[in-house]
Amino acid sequence: MRAPFAAALAAATAVALAFLVLPVAAIFFRVPPGDLIGALGHGVTRDALLVSLKTSAIAHACVLLVGTPAAYVLARRRFRGRALVLSLVELPLVLPPAVAGIALLAAFGRVGLLGGTLDAVGIQIPFTQAAVVLAVAFVESPFYVRGAIAAFEGVDATLLDAARTLGAAPGRVFARVALPLAAGGLAAASALALARGLGEFGATIIFAGSLQGVTQTLPLAIYAQFEQNFDTALAISGLFIVVGAVLLVALKLYPWFRFASIFRSRFAISTSS
Amino acid sequence: MRRLAAAAALVALALPAAGAAGAPLTVLAAASLTSVLPRIDGGERYSFAGSDQLALQIRQGEPADVYAAASPKYTELLYRDGLLRKPVVFATNRLIVLVPKSNPAHIKSVYDLRRPRVKIVVGDSTVPIGIYTRQILDALGITADVTKNVVSEETDVKGIVSKVALGEADAGFVYRTDAKPVASATRTIPLPAWAQPPIRYELAVVKASKHRAAAAAFIRKVLSKRGRLLLARAGFGVPKAR
Repeated sequence: MRAPFAAALAAATAVALAFLVLPVAAIFFRVPPGDLIGALGHGVTRDALLVSLKTSAIAHACVLLVGTPAAYVLARRRFRGRALVLSLVELPLVLPPAVAGIALLAAFGRVGLLGGTLDAVGIQIPFTQAAVVLAVAFVESPFYVRGAIAAFEGVDATLLDAARTLGAAPGRVFARVALPLAAGGLAAASALALARGLGEFGATIIFAGSLQGVTQTLPLAIYAQFEQNFDTALAISGLFIVVGAVLLVALKLYPWFRFASIFRSRFAISTSS
Repeated sequence: MRRLAAAAALVALALPAAGAAGAPLTVLAAASLTSVLPRIDGGERYSFAGSDQLALQIRQGEPADVYAAASPKYTELLYRDGLLRKPVVFATNRLIVLVPKSNPAHIKSVYDLRRPRVKIVVGDSTVPIGIYTRQILDALGITADVTKNVVSEETDVKGIVSKVALGEADAGFVYRTDAKPVASATRTIPLPAWAQPPIRYELAVVKASKHRAAAAAFIRKVLSKRGRLLLARAGFGVPKAR
């Protein structure tokens, strides 16, 4: 009785793995690694890569800067309506990106809610890199904030209380105790959010449009190229897989780095004393 | 085994039935014909998609009786390769400039698009609408000035139409027939006839069709006086009757 069940489990796992791995592997069957590097020199790809790196970096910096303290507050404080706030933060996670794009247009578009006000002070967001940054930040922030809240919730509260009773100011407790203890979870959330932001497509094409060298990010370039230049589209796709794999492997390796660094610091203390 | 035999019998029954007179034809047609072809003949099975995609389906031997494409490029190539009977032109289209109803940039002619800071949306150079747009700009001699104002290169005509209809862009280059559904939110500015690139729609009987007589009758219906009237009403140009 046990053997058939084990066989079924193994078969299900094999099917799941094959289904997930086959399409990804198929890309590399069609793109030799040499072409992958060659495609990076291609004008469209290079421009898209630069736009993607720049907008993702800015968006990600904003998300980390604002999202980390916000997540700290949401993780530590218990207040009325906290569940509602948490749901609002996670809402973009369950929205189709196209809805995010429409929502951003409705808010920041020229005829949108804030469009008139922004226009009056000479700011027009649609079709600019600022629009790409907004779209990326909107879509990736819940990935980070969600993970960061979990990371801060995982920090032992008695340690924070101890720091405070020893006279540390709240800012110092956050920076010297909570942040280092939550670092692993924050890094994981950050990497996931970054990867999601790099892949952003729907909100960007609706809110920011697509113009080579300005608003055309890598995913938009794939879409524009695949009708005519399937090889370039394949090469950019391959690039994404490599970047994604590097991020995931880095996450898996992170505990090891941490362990090694703790080990080293202990060792250093013991030799110095 | 018995079930298999029953299925085979069903298929055998169905096959001659499809060949009988009055059975619906399979018509593969360009997406821009979505609303007009069923109005001309509502009794057929239509598959609307990009002309290039449909051409690929015909090459791969998918069963079809008629092919109607948005560009002669696809029909002529299939005809050369012996997959279609001789194609005929049945409709033409024109490019226009679409502006939001409020016309925030005060565009009165295509030459106003040269003014600085007008926000223009065009098709990407990889799609037909983008190729045609570049052709007409070249013919008008305003490529450089207009290109400076392009804020987005969309991968399909829907992206251009929606960005103009929403009022985010000041102007966009689209087909005349695309303007009809958004007439309440937009205005159209005609482009000079002398600068228009030829945008021709062709249709042909698929050689592998089992209903070639019915397919030819369908084409005659599209080319008929009524068919031409309906095409014209949808905003298409119709070639002179032969």
